[in-house]
Amino acid sequence: MTAPYPLQAFAPERSAPLILALPKGRILAECGELLERAGIRPAPDYADEASRRLRFPTDHAELDVIRVRSFDVATFVAFGAAQLGICGADVLMEFDYSEIYAPLDLGIGHCRLSVAEKKETAGSDDPNRWSQVRVATKYPNIARRYYAARGIQAEVVTLNGSMELAPSLGLARVIVDLVATGNTLKANGLVETAVIAPITSRLIVNRTALKTEPELIGAWIARFRAALGETG
Amino acid sequence: MTDDLPPNPALLPAGLRDLLPPEAEIEAASVEAIMATFAAHGYQRVKPPLLEFEETLLSGPGGAVAEDTFRLLDPDSRRMMALRSDTTPQVARIASTRLAKAPRPLRLSYAGQCLRVRGTQLAPERQVAQAGIELIGPDNPLADAEIILVGAEALSATGLTRLSFDLTLPRLVPTLLAGLGLPAEQERALVHALDRKDTAAVRAHGGKLAAMLVELLLAAGPAEKALGVLERTAFPDAAKEQIDRLAEIVAVVRARAPALKLTVDPIEFRGFRYHTGVSLTVYAPGRHEELGRGGRYLCSNVEPATGLTLFPDAILRAAPRLAPRPRVYVPLGADPEAVRALRAQGYATVAALEPVADAAAEAERLDCDHILTPTGLCRVKGE
Repeated sequence: MTAPYPLQAFAPERSAPLILALPKGRILAECGELLERAGIRPAPDYADEASRRLRFPTDHAELDVIRVRSFDVATFVAFGAAQLGICGADVLMEFDYSEIYAPLDLGIGHCRLSVAEKKETAGSDDPNRWSQVRVATKYPNIARRYYAARGIQAEVVTLNGSMELAPSLGLARVIVDLVATGNTLKANGLVETAVIAPITSRLIVNRTALKTEPELIGAWIARFRAALGETG
Repeated sequence: MTDDLPPNPALLPAGLRDLLPPEAEIEAASVEAIMATFAAHGYQRVKPPLLEFEETLLSGPGGAVAEDTFRLLDPDSRRMMALRSDTTPQVARIASTRLAKAPRPLRLSYAGQCLRVRGTQLAPERQVAQAGIELIGPDNPLADAEIILVGAEALSATGLTRLSFDLTLPRLVPTLLAGLGLPAEQERALVHALDRKDTAAVRAHGGKLAAMLVELLLAAGPAEKALGVLERTAFPDAAKEQIDRLAEIVAVVRARAPALKLTVDPIEFRGFRYHTGVSLTVYAPGRHEELGRGGRYLCSNVEPATGLTLFPDAILRAAPRLAPRPRVYVPLGADPEAVRALRAQGYATVAALEPVADAAAEAERLDCDHILTPTGLCRVKGE
């Protein structure tokens, strides 16, 4: 027995708005101008970190923005809780979520992911002779991969901030962290010894959302692409 | 430390679960509906064993899933055995050994459980049900299209009608990269960037193909639009052949099922990793899991074949809830003929095993919607 083939029913429909996840902090300020150029105007308090709201409507009924921690942008998008997001390439490198596509380099949030250590120890010995090194970082996966590729086991001490304190207090020999100007390193007696990768922010999209609603998601990607002055 | 709490008997290892009533019955009913559709299209059922010798299970297409496979030592033969993590390689083995002389095209179907060492981010289950078809012998667009059309019909039989089929060309990227002659490390970086659709990294590593690869990445979308971009792009002959085949498949599916949602992603090369030609993934819009996967491969590395594997667990979560069978409480002393007649009409008859004071309350306690009285059926709950 074969069921009849209800073809009309194959057309998908979406009732809930799409969610664009934005990172709190440094990048949020730079996002504002880009969103404006892409023609997206969220409720004004979205950029006000004192606001208790976490989800904001935009001038498009079919798009809401949410404001979460930068690492969580990737998680919301990977699991499809948000379909679109803006986050640093550092976060993507750390999690390496296979469910995230990063179709656009937004050219904002310029900085670099670097290794740094105390002025006094930098250059004092040859890292090629190390078997292990203790690293303080909020990027445990990147740090392990970076040192493993150099034949060194990284003993990672995961911190959520103030990494710069770790070398001087004997918590770790080196740190792996984002460096924008280098002023924080200098103020804490550290020097940058290697650049792991240059970092910019990316527009990210959920893989399944792009697969199943390509017109809708594609139209938003095209808007950002146009805002960046790239041809469509 | 010796003060650990005793293990809770309900705790199962990660990625494994019990299916309870009514889900277990609904799942069985959807598998049955899927298998009935396959059978109606001439696919004949096979049932391979759970365990095989490691070297046979993991040779041929099975090699691609080797790292996901549980293994154990056979105390009898002292040889390593592997527990299937995917059924297609077993069906391929049957087709090229026991059914080597069976007439082609050979249409086979199967349903069963698979185990894998670890789940994925999106689907953490380690025990996965599969129900699928394999079409062995012909290597042409009609065979590829048949897999899609039969798959869509089987899913619609489970009540799932909002579907989206994503077609991919897993050999296209390797074909394009072969002509590029990149250093191994740069090629690895480029392949990763393509997999994540990271246009910035594709530009950085793509060499002279960078601009073309970025356009192809962004071309992913509705089938006709993507094919338009592909037809305008200048490809080497080996790549052109793959694209022509894809266009023919889309044309056949369009003619037979004009409203079926088809997307094309020319750069995608994920999948079961043994695929050698046009591959497909089935989604239900708004659901973040795959309902099925399939595509063209080589049976025992020689014979062309294509197939589709559906995932009943994911289908169960996505499909509209089927009404469970209505339950009737049958007090002691009921007429056996009347009870048999009820079962024939599709009721589940729940027989009393001892006398009770309040039959209606007992019916309700046992989750029955009806009670059988000497005058006929009587509703006990609801309206």
